[in-house]
Amino acid sequence: MFRSGWQPALLLAPALLLLALLTLYPIAYSFVLAFTDAEYQSDALTFVGWANFNTLLNDWFFQQATWNTVRFTVSASVVQVGLGLLLALLFARPFPRRQWLLPLFIYPMMLSTLVCASIWKAWMHFDFGWLNNLFDAVGLSRQPWLSDPALALWSIVLVDTWQWTPMAFLILLAGLQGIPQDIEEAATLEGATPWQQFWHIRLPLLRPYLFLALLLRSIDTFKLFDKVYVLTGGGPAFATETLSLMAYKQGFKFFNLGAASAIAVIMLVIALVLSLAYAWQVMRRPT
Amino acid sequence: MTHSLRYAVMIVLLLFFTLPTLWMLGTAFKPAGEYVGTGLSLLPNAPTLEHFISLWQQGVGQRLVNTLVVALGTTALSLTLAFLAAYALVRFRFPAQLDRMFLLLVLVVKMLPPIVVAIPMYRILRSLNGLDSLPGLMLSYQVYTLPFCIWMLLGFVRQIPVDLEEAATLEGAGLFRRLTRVVLPLAAPGLVATLIFAMLLAWNEFLFALLFIQTPSNFTLPLFIATFATENQTYWGELMAIGVISSLPVLILAGYLQRHLLRGFAMQSH
Repeated sequence: MFRSGWQPALLLAPALLLLALLTLYPIAYSFVLAFTDAEYQSDALTFVGWANFNTLLNDWFFQQATWNTVRFTVSASVVQVGLGLLLALLFARPFPRRQWLLPLFIYPMMLSTLVCASIWKAWMHFDFGWLNNLFDAVGLSRQPWLSDPALALWSIVLVDTWQWTPMAFLILLAGLQGIPQDIEEAATLEGATPWQQFWHIRLPLLRPYLFLALLLRSIDTFKLFDKVYVLTGGGPAFATETLSLMAYKQGFKFFNLGAASAIAVIMLVIALVLSLAYAWQVMRRPT
Repeated sequence: MTHSLRYAVMIVLLLFFTLPTLWMLGTAFKPAGEYVGTGLSLLPNAPTLEHFISLWQQGVGQRLVNTLVVALGTTALSLTLAFLAAYALVRFRFPAQLDRMFLLLVLVVKMLPPIVVAIPMYRILRSLNGLDSLPGLMLSYQVYTLPFCIWMLLGFVRQIPVDLEEAATLEGAGLFRRLTRVVLPLAAPGLVATLIFAMLLAWNEFLFALLFIQTPSNFTLPLFIATFATENQTYWGELMAIGVISSLPVLILAGYLQRHLLRGFAMQSH
């Protein structure tokens, strides 16, 4: 630690100013717009009170987008953490070629979402998609992955699972590797079965990591935009419309800045709750 | 789990996570007649470069340069500001827990859905003449990369022992000399890792590029991909060829990135 004075403030100021300009000001501005009937490039603002929020809450499209976002967030996060746990358990002990195999399970999360979505859009093509060709080859019927309203959202969950399970996997692997070897050896000596070991030793010690993985995945899945944009555009029949996509369409297609800002404010509040839970988790340790 | 069950599960998962990318690599080199069909072959029978040549004629080179320029510019700005901020947060005491407040802000911004700031950001860029321009895009990307860089560098700067700096102070070195001669060299591996991840963020970003860039000659790779992917056609050869081009950095660096990610998560959770 060094003597304080003007130096620390000077070092911190550029980052703080830029963050304020790019986030605090926009957030404040969104709050203002949400209570106006602003449209594209109209600089005169008329305040309309809670009208935008009232309209939204009674709007079928908004309800549909919210319901889709919630279903997507919960199911994608849970599936990814579950599959990630399975992978982490497989990789927790050394085995031949482990270091060589690990990157093969990790790289999807580093690919551009646009690339992932493009691959899977081709794979889910009804007539020529590889997935349906595979289904055909093993005697299952072709599925309308992206054109059936009842199936499309779950197809996007599948794509997101492919891309982001690696993140849950890495978090849980870090957690498993942090469990001291002697605890597990002692349990083995005491005659604990692998299942007992998992249930009574590993799972309790993994709990903070499971929490972290679920939280980070929920925060991220809640934003869902790129994948839907490429795979379905929100369709069919709004079956995959998400809050991000709806805000985008309202703001940048229909130029209803007021309505778009109201959606943004609602999303902000939800994201804030999730990210404060995350901040509480990682900032408990002394900095 | 028994040994053979472990193996079976591992193989199924390995196929699930690698086949789509293998298919992309193969399709990029297949003539159109080979991938439009009901076969399951992953590799081309008669490999061709026609898709890459066609992309070249459609200006993929320009888009590649744009993406690289944006990624470099974004990262240079973020890394500089984040390094100074991280150093200040680690080495100095701030009154009234201001440092913790700042970190909280950083974390919240890091988690924010970007669409939330999109409309005001459009206004900011318009007033700065930054719409439809690469510098404007770099500025908007600070929303992603600045919090990310601060948070990641914090971990690295914390590990630098303070003794060397104290010795340098005794010899009369001021803040600037300490930062450039002592801290910077010791933080170099951390700076490189942060640089790579931040570049990756900017390299792959789509939403702000979609909103703020209009002219095709200013497109980044994700935008270029979107123009192909959203058409309901089966131009999969070209689409997968851009996919390959845009994924090359990642596929080459996968091992390095994975080691850093694992260490990062290990530090983060406890």
